Amino acid sequence: MTRYLLRRLNLFLATSLVLILVLFVATSRFPVEHKFALTGIHSPTPEQVAQITADYRLDEGNLSQFTAYLQQRLSGNLGVSATSNQPVFDELVQVLPASFELAGVAAILALLCGIPLGVLASLSKNKITQHSIMAITLTGYSIPVFWLGLTLSLWFGVELGWLPISGQINLLYEIEPVTGFLLIDTLLSDSQYRMSAFTDAVLHIILPAITLAVLPFTVVVRITRTAMLSIMEETYIKAAAARGLQTSKIVIRHALPNALIPVLKNMGLMLGAFSSYAMVVEVIFAWPGVGAWLVSGIYQRDYTVIQGGILSVALIIIFLSILIEVMHTAINPISRKEMYATS
Amino acid sequence: MPQVNIYQEDDIPSPMRRIWHAFADNPFAFAGLWVVCAFILLAVFGPFIAPYSAEAQDPNALLLPPSWDPAGTVDHFLGTDDLGRDIFSRLLHGAHLTFGMALGIVFASLIVGFVIGAISGMMKGLKSSILSHLLDALLSIPSLLMAILVVAVMGPGLSNVFWAVGIALTPQFIRAIHQAVHEELQKEYVTAARLDGANPLQVFWYVIMPNVWDIVIIQTTLGISAAILDIAALGFLNLGAQAPSPEWGAMVSQGMDNLLTAPWTVTIPGVAILCSVLAINLVGDGLRSALSPIKH
Repeated sequence: MTRYLLRRLNLFLATSLVLILVLFVATSRFPVEHKFALTGIHSPTPEQVAQITADYRLDEGNLSQFTAYLQQRLSGNLGVSATSNQPVFDELVQVLPASFELAGVAAILALLCGIPLGVLASLSKNKITQHSIMAITLTGYSIPVFWLGLTLSLWFGVELGWLPISGQINLLYEIEPVTGFLLIDTLLSDSQYRMSAFTDAVLHIILPAITLAVLPFTVVVRITRTAMLSIMEETYIKAAAARGLQTSKIVIRHALPNALIPVLKNMGLMLGAFSSYAMVVEVIFAWPGVGAWLVSGIYQRDYTVIQGGILSVALIIIFLSILIEVMHTAINPISRKEMYATS
Repeated sequence: MPQVNIYQEDDIPSPMRRIWHAFADNPFAFAGLWVVCAFILLAVFGPFIAPYSAEAQDPNALLLPPSWDPAGTVDHFLGTDDLGRDIFSRLLHGAHLTFGMALGIVFASLIVGFVIGAISGMMKGLKSSILSHLLDALLSIPSLLMAILVVAVMGPGLSNVFWAVGIALTPQFIRAIHQAVHEELQKEYVTAARLDGANPLQVFWYVIMPNVWDIVIIQTTLGISAAILDIAALGFLNLGAQAPSPEWGAMVSQGMDNLLTAPWTVTIPGVAILCSVLAINLVGDGLRSALSPIKH
């Protein structure tokens, strides 16, 4: 197991290195002055030029430049944003928690609704129930997320006026950021409007979270259903049934834990699509997260923001997907047996 | 009277015919196939049957609702947008941009992915492991990030969508084909063929490939639906097709300004995207259950 973990760590480092190399090459191809693309400083003074040249070893060879780039980026120096003149790292720290909050709520929603519905679809003998669940998931899987977001906000936000459709919280509330997660911060704050601020934050997160949850929800339902269908045929389930266990107990104790393994695996595979969707959802609902920040960065050709955003988001996704793979191996003894995958 | 089989030989359907029968037994999948065929025809012939050109502006018919609305006219079947452009014609003109380009991207990245995946799948040891693990990680980089990077380097535009979506799709194909080939390679019938003296190329093409084609087909349908959604999302974010283009995602983003007064400018292109992706997914689902040997 230690060897396996070391290999995964190795993989993480190697992939991150490749990612940074890609960014390094892309940075040199950006259609602007190279120094500006690296640091985001518009018209540097002669001292700054000397400093940048020294920092990024611009007068040396490619390899040396790459190691310098690597050093700068890994030490947290992502340059300054050309539009706001703030260090990119600080902006990143501000926007990341909002994205995690949205993604977390959406993922929890998807799992909480998806797993029971998947189990239901697999157990139901009724053709109509089965077909309608499959039809719903297939539609949900095919729906373009930006259109879904617009339609939901048009309907629930404008026509019915039930839910707010933009931002994270009403601007009237002033919440001191502690953790960065607004749902927690509102509860932690000591103002007298604590509860109403919390309700407001919850109301703001409902629409974006539902929009974002549709894709993982449909995938979870389908995977759970397929896994449950094949597991309920297994002999150990028949043995459990023969011993006289109730169906609910068989499902929860014996079948579901095994059905969740492929769900976990597919969550890892889904991360890329999920984060693409999250970025679009953030743009539609003006959610102050990393996706909206990155998209506005590309509109303004803010090259340091683009680099910093891509670097951080891709690193987080690579890390999470490797983490999920490790968890998958840890809880699934069968995959540990596949020697060619681990050695 | 019981049916008597007067022939000595039974007609045993070929595997292809059996798959086709299993596929055709599913009415939803079959309907999906018809819709996909219709979309392909529209992608090719759409511009010829469109009543108006994509950029033709009718100043007398601004923001006209669809024809089933009391205020709408049959001249503009699906209504017009804020510049008086006929939405139905724009949808027809956009079909080859969204749907046709998705097909093109998928086939290009399928060929690249097939070659690399097959080579890395046939290899063993460190080389194969490096390739497959690097690809695993590449796969986890979202297509939108890839697109943003491409746009940052090359600027927005429809041709760059090709690269962005293609680069994001290729690892999926490589990975799926790599895994399928690798898995088949462990099986004993492959060893038997090798003992018979087949060289690696023969093992690959005549022994392994017949068992991998179904994965290639399923992956292709998945890829097409992902490509349509990606192209449309890029068009919506203004990173792909630019403003006057009738690409469906760009049409949604152009309709955004009039979302409250004229919701059909957003709804109708969205429905078009939904229908095309849904049809592809229905076909893909039907194929998957027709190809899987275990029948429920």
